[in-house]
Amino acid sequence: MTYETAIARIEEIIRRLDSGEAGLRETLELLREGRGLIEFCAAELDAVGQGLEELRLDELVARLESRNAA
Amino acid sequence: MPRPDGIPGSLLLGPFPVGQYAAKFQAEMRKVARVQLFGEVWGFKAGQARVYFELRDAGGALPCSMWRNEFEALATGPLPDGAQVVVAGGPAYYPGSRTSSPHFSFDVSAVRLAGEGDLLAQLDLLRKRLDGEGLFAPQKRLALPALPRTIGVVTGLGGKARDDVLAGLRRRGWAGRVVWAFAPVQDRHAAPAITRALQDLAALGEVDVIVVARGGGSLADLFCFCDETLCRTVALLAVPVIASVGHHTDRTLLDDVAAVSCSTPTHAAETAVPRHCGEARAALARAAARLDQHGRRAVLDRARVLARLSRAPGQHVDRQRATLHQSLRELRAAGRRGLTTRAERQARFATVLARKGAATRTEAARAATLERLRLALDAHDPARTLERGYALVEGPDGGVVTSAADARAAGAVRLRFSDAAVDATISGQP
Repeated sequence: MTYETAIARIEEIIRRLDSGEAGLRETLELLREGRGLIEFCAAELDAVGQGLEELRLDELVARLESRNAA
Repeated sequence: MPRPDGIPGSLLLGPFPVGQYAAKFQAEMRKVARVQLFGEVWGFKAGQARVYFELRDAGGALPCSMWRNEFEALATGPLPDGAQVVVAGGPAYYPGSRTSSPHFSFDVSAVRLAGEGDLLAQLDLLRKRLDGEGLFAPQKRLALPALPRTIGVVTGLGGKARDDVLAGLRRRGWAGRVVWAFAPVQDRHAAPAITRALQDLAALGEVDVIVVARGGGSLADLFCFCDETLCRTVALLAVPVIASVGHHTDRTLLDDVAAVSCSTPTHAAETAVPRHCGEARAALARAAARLDQHGRRAVLDRARVLARLSRAPGQHVDRQRATLHQSLRELRAAGRRGLTTRAERQARFATVLARKGAATRTEAARAATLERLRLALDAHDPARTLERGYALVEGPDGGVVTSAADARAAGAVRLRFSDAAVDATISGQP
């Protein structure tokens, strides 16, 4: 799942809820799904909000290699 | 045609048939070494099978021609007047015939645009070839992530482009991970180094989008970004590439093959992060609030419905109870009415029965009377008397003779017994 697909689904869920056509069971399922997507998007935003990290390409390569070795 | 006499006084050989001489001339032309020439193009025109132009310089000119399909394969388009070119080929002579004109031209087998300004022409040539191969499209089909976590940047070490990229990212409120791949950006080593950097970044699998940034410069300085290998590599990368290496006036081939071409590194960084992160957080909070609002509303609405439903059974029972009471009252009333009716009916039945009983008693009395009368009548029946041994005396006129005088007077009588009658004659005297 990507941020944009999650946002698109959230908007779709809100449109469905706004329509007032969803029954109780569907409403609860949509709410549960929507809250999960909100959490996912919030985590994505948090990942790019904790502070800029600058790496050189060789540093990232070394980090990935050490991670793979571990 | 018979050979005519030669020109009187001429010391030259001949006369020879012109076709024979033309064929020999054609053969001699073919013996001339094939070479490369350079000059300026004039009068370019395309025929059905060949293209024609003149190659000129200050010292002279030469008619040139080339097979049209071979020229079009170069994808240069029509050559403008003054275009400086290098051509390869050799002289060719078409001898003609009685019905067609002879023709001489330099038979061109290859053309290369040359001289000052040919950089753009060569660039245009390569651009057309790459476009013809469809290499401008693949990157355009890659979706740019709305919120990349890791952005790769290929740029020169220490260049201003780096600061511009960071400034663009800050303007988006983005604070993820930037992977710098520094490479020379304007010498002959630049294109291979940039190509390697791009390949390495894409191979990591953690880079969501790559920015190739340079602060601009003359087209000659930017020519490394027109490198064919670099462009072909970018076209086939699975990671979207945002190019920001030139300006609108000197568009490089990398700008063409990249997913997006931007005029400045700052703009490229903003393109790499399409959404402002702060605005995205606010929008997400609004969406979360909407969902909560819907959640509360759904619960409240349903709670109201449930409350309504929970009250309903009591009301229903009350209604049923009232109905039952009413039914009970009606039943009782109906019962009372039924008893009265039955009592009246019983009374009527009793009356009828009594009447019937009285009638029956009267009839019995009547029957007894009748029996008595019948018995009385039977007692007076002459037949019964006759059965007891008596006889009925009848006169000749059938009348009953009740005295002896009448019997003597009659003389002859009939004695009727119970079973039959016999005639008798009165014979004695009193």
